[in-house]
Amino acid sequence: MARLKGKIAFVTAAGGAIAGATARLFGKEGAVVVCVDIAEENVNKTVEDINAAGGIAIPVVCDVTDGAAVEAAIAKTVETFGKLNVVFNAAAFADPLLPLHELDIDLWRKTFDVNITGMFIVTKYAIPRMLDAGGGSFINVSSIYGARAARNRPAYCSSKGAVRMLSKSVAVDYAEYNIRANSILPGPIETPRLLIANKNMDDVIERHRPHLPAARLGQPEEIAKTAVFLASDESSFMSGNDCFVDGAYNAI
Amino acid sequence: MGRLDGKVAFVTASGGAIAGATARLFGKEGAAVCCVDIVEENVKQTASDINAAGGNAMALKCDVTDDDAVKTAVKKTVTEFGKLNVCFNAAAYSEKRHRLAEMPLDMWKNVIDVNLTGMFIVARHVIPEMQTTGGGSIINVSSIYGVVGAKERPAYCAAKGGVRMLSKSIAVDYAADNIRANSIMPGPIETPRLLARNPSIEAVIERHGTRLHQKRLGKPEEIAQTALFLASDDASFTSGADMVVDAAYTAF
Amino acid sequence: MGLLDGKVSLVTAAGGGIAGAIARRFAAEGAKVCCVDINENTVNQTVTDIEKEGGTAIAKICNVASETEAKTCVNETASIFGKLEVVVNAAAASEPLHTVADMPIEVWQEVLDVNITGMFLIAKHAIPHMQVAGGGQFINISSTFGHIAWPQRPAYMATKGAVRQLTKSIALDFASDNIRANSILPGAIETNRLLARTPTMEKVRERMVPLHPIGRLGQPEDIANAAAFLASDQSSFMTGTDVFVDGGFTAI
Repeated sequence: MARLKGKIAFVTAAGGAIAGATARLFGKEGAVVVCVDIAEENVNKTVEDINAAGGIAIPVVCDVTDGAAVEAAIAKTVETFGKLNVVFNAAAFADPLLPLHELDIDLWRKTFDVNITGMFIVTKYAIPRMLDAGGGSFINVSSIYGARAARNRPAYCSSKGAVRMLSKSVAVDYAEYNIRANSILPGPIETPRLLIANKNMDDVIERHRPHLPAARLGQPEEIAKTAVFLASDESSFMSGNDCFVDGAYNAI
Repeated sequence: MGRLDGKVAFVTASGGAIAGATARLFGKEGAAVCCVDIVEENVKQTASDINAAGGNAMALKCDVTDDDAVKTAVKKTVTEFGKLNVCFNAAAYSEKRHRLAEMPLDMWKNVIDVNLTGMFIVARHVIPEMQTTGGGSIINVSSIYGVVGAKERPAYCAAKGGVRMLSKSIAVDYAADNIRANSIMPGPIETPRLLARNPSIEAVIERHGTRLHQKRLGKPEEIAQTALFLASDDASFTSGADMVVDAAYTAF
Repeated sequence: MGLLDGKVSLVTAAGGGIAGAIARRFAAEGAKVCCVDINENTVNQTVTDIEKEGGTAIAKICNVASETEAKTCVNETASIFGKLEVVVNAAAASEPLHTVADMPIEVWQEVLDVNITGMFLIAKHAIPHMQVAGGGQFINISSTFGHIAWPQRPAYMATKGAVRQLTKSIALDFASDNIRANSILPGAIETNRLLARTPTMEKVRERMVPLHPIGRLGQPEDIANAAAFLASDQSSFMTGTDVFVDGGFTAI
């Protein structure tokens, strides 16, 4: 089964848990995957995994907030593989837990730089390539915190709200060119990043309990499966959608 | 290998365009499908299409507003196929265009009965079967008019808004039973029913104007693909969600 | 001078906590109020309260789910006060806790009849009076449970989702008649109804206050404030909206 056969995908934060799982599943479903991350070691590991499983992937070390670097990375993608069809935008900054009045302006700016300006930059340079390819699909990772507030994360919440509207804006402006853009809003997903602010995963479940009726966290692979659907032609009439993958978190 | 191998699906309104396409896709992906409709001739056609394509389907005539009839249909499905773990609820009826003050009460009640109470009745009988089999996925067809208003369709709008919340209610109450429930909100889809209300496809596209960014209607198969994703284990962390399939219609 | 000087209003469920506060506030703002309820004692109390403060009010006993009663009630209000411009639809049934699978159809039907069909009927007969008056305002009481789910309230939630969409439908279809329609979605409000399932308000607060970031439950007057604003010309560009008055309940 190769639901993404013939497609070239550009995946940011591919050294991380969610985008890493997505890159691996994209590879397994037949896409050629350009794995992008700021951390070389992590992204190399993802690429090795994909290639070892019989897929095709290359690593690109790149800071998504660096316009020239992103432009070069996308140019390299098209030079190497001939085109670009799918972008999975997942780079996000690990913001500190602080109430707004105690948050440094620099940390606020850093969060917005990575979470939303980085997405703008990647999108800006990817769109002309998608226009060349006759269409494409952007999958932008927002968060349930783009719909509901998390305590002491003003920059994260507001940047994730911005992601939803950036997706809708791209969806509307490029629909006639067959370019689609959707957001995924993951609930709490079992990733190493969750352990920065929590002792263990049981703690996380306990903290979110009223919002997790199935009393479990999501797995990175569950986001990856949603991303495959949105990347594939199976979702050809879906654009501008907020795709909640949250175990009913936002339903309560 | 099919994405629904080993699953048994109950599909209402499957003599119609959207649910018919969904039933056929479910069949193709390995599910045994019980095709349900109030119009026997249409639903037999869908079932025979599935069987002709090498799938496994049966047809049942059933009015979803008739509690006893639904109960019997669900029992027959389980007797025939051994279990039931996917339910696609699509039976719907739309009033003739009326502004609220001119709409007769009977017409209102009819729409609420079929579109909302029908879904409640189907859900109440499939849930115990899903509990027995260890879980399931309920997919309720709402509409973009469950999110935004439509002109001169007060009952349809109210019913589809009701469907959206009914899905969330099921998602929350049965998460512990591993039952997921989601809504699909289709935009304007090219179906015979739509054409019956309008002089031509072009007229529909014209009427929707700038919101139909691709200047085309959706196809029943595009809803079917979304339903397939929600029915499959790919959507294992997706519950209580609103899947808007409208090519950015409501994003604008 | 009051916000609603010279306006004629009809408030359903005006014997209850929330709508009672709305009726009193409307009268204090200068509106004439027809207080409607199915329960004679409670609605007479509201009228007495209003008259004691120098306001103008009458009581009508009416089951809003009955077409003849709804029609008579609306027409008599207009004939007594000379016109009708503002309608607050607050009547709602409070069903015992059930999940979809164990809720009797009769219970489901009763909730639908009162919560959504009753609203349809009052609106249907009020609109012609608003058209004659040159415009009007509907304030329809939905609930945070018309937006997010809660355990074991499928019928309540389905109808409250339906209310939001019925409101948008009215807003759209009667905008050209200068009729506006908005929904209010209250969080947990301290009324006797909350005591139906919990023995004391202290117990309710213990459970519900932590879910409201504002640190308290709502008072009926909080909803009355929003309703007065929506009924007045202060909100003249607001129509078809969902106004959350929930102390941040749905923001987290």
